[in-house]
Parts: sequence; C-alpha cells; structure tokens
Amino acid sequence: MIEDRADASPEDSASEPVEAVVRPAGPARYRWYVLVGVLVILLSLPLMRPLISSYSYTMTLGALVFMWVAMTSSWNILGGYAGYISLGHSVFMGVGGYVAGVLLYYYDVSPFLTAPLGGLAAVALGFLAGFITLRTRGPAFIISTIALLFMFLLLFDNIEYLGGSAGLPLPSPPFPQDWLRTPFYYAMLLSAMGSVWLSYRVAHSKYGMGLRAIAEDETKAEVAGVPTRLYKISAFAMSAFWVGVVGAIYGYSISFVRPTVFFTVAISAQMVLMAIIGGKGTVAGPVLGAVLIYAINEFSLIAFGASEINIAIQGGLLVAVLLFFPLGIVGTLRKRNWLPAFLDWD
Amino acid sequence: MPPILEISNINAGYGAGPNILQGLSLEVEEAKSYCIIGPNGAGKSTLFKVIAGLLHPRSGDVVFRGESLARRRPDQVLATGVCFVPQDQALFPEMSVRENLVMGAYLVRDRALVRQRMDRVYEMFPILKERAGQDAGKLSGGQQQMLAMGRALMIDPILLMLDEPSLGLAPQVAQQIFTRVRELEELGITVLIVEQNAQRGLELADWGVVLDLGIVRFEGPADGILEDPRIRELYLGKAASAGDTN
Amino acid sequence: MTNVIQVAILGLLLGGVYALMAAGLTLAFGVMRIVNLAHAVFIIASAYISFFMFENLGLDPLLSVVIVMPLMFLFGVAVYQVLFRRIEGTPRYTEMTVLLTFGIAIIIEGLLGFFFTGIFRKADPEYATDSFIVSGLFLPEGDILFIPKGQFFATLLSMVLLFGLWGFLRYSQTGYAIRATMQNRAAAQIVGVNVRRVSAISFGLSTALAGASGALMSYLFPFFPFRHWQWVAVLLALVVLGGMGSIKGAVIGAFALGVASSFVVDRIGPTWGPMTFYLALFIILLVRPRGLFGKEVAV
Repeated sequence: MIEDRADASPEDSASEPVEAVVRPAGPARYRWYVLVGVLVILLSLPLMRPLISSYSYTMTLGALVFMWVAMTSSWNILGGYAGYISLGHSVFMGVGGYVAGVLLYYYDVSPFLTAPLGGLAAVALGFLAGFITLRTRGPAFIISTIALLFMFLLLFDNIEYLGGSAGLPLPSPPFPQDWLRTPFYYAMLLSAMGSVWLSYRVAHSKYGMGLRAIAEDETKAEVAGVPTRLYKISAFAMSAFWVGVVGAIYGYSISFVRPTVFFTVAISAQMVLMAIIGGKGTVAGPVLGAVLIYAINEFSLIAFGASEINIAIQGGLLVAVLLFFPLGIVGTLRKRNWLPAFLDWD
Repeated sequence: MPPILEISNINAGYGAGPNILQGLSLEVEEAKSYCIIGPNGAGKSTLFKVIAGLLHPRSGDVVFRGESLARRRPDQVLATGVCFVPQDQALFPEMSVRENLVMGAYLVRDRALVRQRMDRVYEMFPILKERAGQDAGKLSGGQQQMLAMGRALMIDPILLMLDEPSLGLAPQVAQQIFTRVRELEELGITVLIVEQNAQRGLELADWGVVLDLGIVRFEGPADGILEDPRIRELYLGKAASAGDTN
Repeated sequence: MTNVIQVAILGLLLGGVYALMAAGLTLAFGVMRIVNLAHAVFIIASAYISFFMFENLGLDPLLSVVIVMPLMFLFGVAVYQVLFRRIEGTPRYTEMTVLLTFGIAIIIEGLLGFFFTGIFRKADPEYATDSFIVSGLFLPEGDILFIPKGQFFATLLSMVLLFGLWGFLRYSQTGYAIRATMQNRAAAQIVGVNVRRVSAISFGLSTALAGASGALMSYLFPFFPFRHWQWVAVLLALVVLGGMGSIKGAVIGAFALGVASSFVVDRIGPTWGPMTFYLALFIILLVRPRGLFGKEVAV
C-alpha cells in the first residue's frame, strides 16, 4: 500500500536499489549527513558521561524532548496531513501508560517490553473511536476527541482495579541508581525516531497524498476516488501508536500511573501547539516545534516560576502563530524559499 | 444615452487561482435585456458575482449609473439597485415563502411599501400566494425559482441578473419562468440573463453576448446572433445539444 | 414515585442552565461556523465577575446579569472584530476557529489562574442553599419535594433569556438578518444583509449568553479556571447532539440530557453525571451524526 518514491526511480540497477533509498544525491545528501550526524551524537551522548555536568538532568531532559517529538510527530499524521485536529490525543498516552502500568503492577512485566502493546492498545482505541467519530466531516470529530479524553478520565478515576484517582504506584526500574535515567533516554529516543520515520513514510506515500487531498477538499478527494473514511480512520489509529508507546515509558519513568497525569487537556494542547508552531503538515515541523516549545517552557519556568502565566503565554503563542504564521516555522520558511536543506524532509 | 452599466477590463478569479475573466469589457444599456451565453468555464457566473460584489475583481472596474461598484460589499451593491439571483441555493430554506419575500425587502424601510410590493409579487406569481406560509425548502424547483425572482422584485431592482433561471426545470415550467422574465423586461428593468438553453434565452432578449475564455467574443442583436453561422455552429451547437438533455 | 419526580425536577433545573450555555455556543456555529472552544472559559470569566461583585459589592448574582451581559456582549464583538475578522475567508475556516478559540481559551485560563489562583470559588447568596418545599398536590401522603431555589431561579432566568432570544430572532429586523445568515450566508448578502456586522453582533450575543450563564454558575457550581475544559466537553457534546447550529436542538438536548444525567447520578453515582453527555455524544454520532435538528452533514 505504501510505495517509496525512491523505489520508483528507473535508473536503479538491480544491484543498487538499497543505495537509492539510503543515499539520495545532491542537497539531499548533505541533509542526510547532517541528520545521521545528529542521530549519532544523540545516540552516543549517554556514553559521554564524563563530559556532561548534570547527567541525570540531561538524560531526563533528553527523554522528555524526545517524548514530545514522538507524540507531536504522531499527532501530525492525522492533524497535519489529513487536517483533522485531535484535541484529546493524550488519551492514547494514558491508554499506553495504563496497559504497561497494569502489566507491571500485577504481572511484573517491564514496560520496556510491553510498550509496543501499549501502542497497539492505543491503535485499537483509535480504530474504534475513529469508526464512530469520523463518519462526519467538520467539527464533530474535534469535539468528540475532547469528550473521549474526559470520558477516559472519568472512567479511570473510578475503576478500582486501575487504582482509581490515586492510580497505581510502580516499582523503580532495576537499574543502578547512577544510570537510572539512561534507559528512558534511549527508549524515548528510539520512539522519537520511530515516530518521525512513520511520519516520513506516510508523507512520502500515495496514502499520504490521499490524506493531504482530504485535508484540502474532502469532497473532491472522495470524488477522485480516495477512500476517505478508511484513510481517516487508519490515520487516526496510526497516529495513536507511538503516543501509546511513549505513554508506557513515561509512566514507568515517573513510577506511577494516575488519571490526571495522562488524561489532561494540557498535554494535548502542548502537542497541538508544538505541531502548529513547527509547521503542521510537514515532517520536520513537529520535531522543530517540540524542541522549541520545550525550550520556551523551560525558559519561562525559570523566568516566571511555575505559574499560570506560562499557560497564558502558550495560548498567546498559539494565537499569534495562527494569525500570522499559520503554516508554522517550517511551512512559512518553505513558502519563502528560506528553508535550510536539513529541515526539508518533505 | 450613456450605458447604465459599464464593465471595463475586468480580471477576476477565485482564491489563488487563475483569472477566469481576462480583461472583460461590456456595456449595458438601460431597459434592455441581455442574454449571456458561452461554454462552461467561460466566466458567465463569475461575471455576475463580480458585478454583485460577491467576488472582487483583481483589476478593472464596474460602473453602475456613474458609481463604481468594484470594491463594494454585496449589500452596498444591492442598495444601488443591482439585484442578483444566483443559480441555486438562492433561498432561505427554513423561512416561509412570505418570510423570504420580506427578506428580499430587507433594505426597505417603509413597511407599507414592502406590503405593496409583496402584493405585486403575489399577483405576478399567484402560486407563491397560495404557499405563502410554507417553508421555502419544501417548494418544487419551479416554485423556488419563482420565489427567487419574486424576492428579487421586492427591492424594485433597476438591474436584475438571473443566473440560469431555468436550470433543472421541466420544459413547461421553464417556459413559465421565461414568460415571467419577459414581463420583467416589460416593466423597464434592465435584465441580464445567463441561460444554458441558449436558443430560448436569446429568444427572450434584445441583445446577445457570447462569452468565451473570460472575455466577450461576440455581441449583437439577439436575433442576429441566432442567425450568424459561426456562432450557431460553435456555441448553439454545443449549448443546444446540452440544452436538449436538460 | 416521588423520588422519580424529584430526580426529574433536578434534571430539568440542571437542563435549564445547560440550555442557556449551549444556546450561545450553537448560535456562534450556526451564524458564523465558529466552534468556540473558549465559550466555557468565557462563562467562567463571567462567573468571576459576578462572584467578585457579590463579594465586594453585595450584588446578587441574578441581578449581576444586567451588568455582565452587556459587558460580555461588547467583549464578544471586540474579540470578533480583532481576531475572527482576520481569518475570515481563509480555507478550512472552521478548523481555524477551533484552533484559535483553543488558544484564546488557554490564554484566558492562564490569566484567570494568574490573577485569581486556582481556589474553588462559589458565591453564596441565600437562595443558593435554600429550597422550596412542595407537599400535597398529587403527591402521596407525607411525601415532599425539594426544589432548590438557586437552581429554580437560574432556570427561570434562563428560560426568560432564551425566550427573549427566540423572540428577537423571530421578530426583529436584526433577528431576521441573523436567521437568514444562518440559513444561507450568500443569499443573505444578496438581499442586502451586512453579514460582517451580523456576524459580529451574533458573536456578541453568544458571549452575552455566556455571560449570563456565568452569573448563574457563580453560585450554582464551584468554579476555578481549569474547570472550563470539563464544561467545554459537556457543552460541545450537547451542541452536537442537538445539531450544530440549532438553538432548538441545543435546548431540547440540554433538558433531555439534564434529566438523563440526573437519573444517572441518582442511580449510579454523582461522578458519573458527565459520562451521560459523553456517551450520548458517541451514540448520536453512531446513529445520527447530524444531531437531532442539524442539517445534513456540512463541512
């Protein structure tokens, strides 16, 4: 179903198809090198312990940034490519978190193993919810994502087996204290890589084109033969996977799962803000947005303390971007042809 | 006598798309009736929308009785006496026939005048009086078209633009509509009509205007146009066969 | 039997307040295709205004409506002119309004939290805790019904306002213009309605209704800034249920779900009340996506 544009190149000889995918020519090559370089640094960072002053803090910071990258990139599959805004996306984080949390709490299975299960559970929910809510176009879907989120908050608050509103406390991971945060760093990094890779593949496929057609004009897309309902539902489901995975890992990293941690609009709001500022509908946008917003958050925490003003600032940013740079950073740069090659992943 | 409506060199298009009207110019004389024909995509509906203020031209001007309409809002255009009856979706479906007519006179302050005009419309279209309390959305196609025209009359227009008034209507019903249009012409209203059924439309009108690729290709007395072999073949041939399947 | 009536009455009184809240929200969508996620935060902001007027000036929340409504009307018109006018005519307008109002909601929530902190607030005029006691009538011997005064007055006021809205829309010149714009925006323009002005007024009306709702909320429910999300979910569910853009649908839906959730609370438990609304939303989407009185699925 998903075809790789690079495979379509007629110049590929039988002995070089892998090369064509792995090493495109020209400015794309430079971009490729930069990306690989960055990845190498990120992957080896934890091992450069002597060079890093506050190791635990760096590991935690990295893990969180990667987490947001993973979630925002996933959100973008439905919200950016297909144009269907999900404001309750954090429900998938909670589902993943609880699946792994329950398996750990009751059956002692490590979330590092069960995270993919959490992801799949989220996907299942995505299919089910999408089946019901993606029957109509327009705002009903958006509204239903919020309702879904609150429904789950209510449910999980009241189910004793899941710990109710207090949640479930989780044991610490069996790693030496010094290296406690490092596995989370890697787990989140891998999730981020996986999420961005998925986003990239979707963007560069016929399926992705179909999604974009839906975003632009759903009627026309239908008339042109795009199976819109199937595409929308599957996009919703796909956009849930890595969010669920990340939720599982996150729960483990804070050593408890609790409804208010996951089923909150604040997390969804962050995802939306990050995607829009970075540039929704692009591959690089969510990544950039996640890093940027996280940085801004940290900065304003330092500047203003943990007060409500931070929330107001985020809202202000969102409104400003929507009014003046609706395409986000990546989108706006591209439109003006100022987009540096290493950010152009579309 | 100077033309009542002067359209000069209009370039117009939708959104970020290409120009549909490409430097279109046309002069319209008072109390005459004009039938505008041309292939699909020629810009006929677009021209009406530009005149009505629903679409702002990218360049060029529209001057009605000495006033420029080019950058005006639709309600401002209406206030000058230019009334547009669009192709479909012209009515307020959940309002009654009566309420639709009242809305037609939205800009009219004088209540007595509104009542007077409504009576006149009922006289012209007795079926509307019969169904005065019914929701407009429940009327038949022909009745809806009559309501749309009746509503346009509530403002006592000086210039009336009808976009495909017989579209989708059965031949007898379409004939009724055309009879009404002729009555409007006799009232002294300047009528511009886009008609899919080119032959019928040209029969009604004084003057024929052939639009193609966003400009006026031919214009002349409606009779003459029907006779001109070039036009007959190029446009009436296509339009007529399309009209036959309507 | 008495218990059933009691629960039903409580439900109706609840529905009355919800109806007022939902009406404003659905009006904005009906006229301008705006999905106003900030509606609930407008309500809460108004609740703060009423609350502080009560605390500091002794002004009764029900009376404060007279001040809050015009204030919020002007606020709504201003917000429309400053923000929504800018995105008028952009592609995927409704989606934009969702995001924009989402941002506005967050801004106001942050500001409210900053200035007023997250303490639960609730005004306590006398009638807030008092009840009418009804006995006799058709009730069995010795049984009594409690009709909470606060809720009763709130529903009364809500009905008065909604009735006024209905009359305004039905009979006034501007009301006609608003209805016309709701039904067919292009045609409204053609008959001479200044749709931009109508849109601004409608949005102002919508926020004015939110203002009145806020005055009622100030003594009916404990509120704090973050609370608006819960209300948004419930109100949006109501609006979809009734049919987006249909005030009639929103009101009927509000009463129906108010009663339904009242029974849920009585039989199952207080925390499950909101679940009624969420479930109703998903059921309606499954069974009749356009809602009770909505038009065919529009984009």
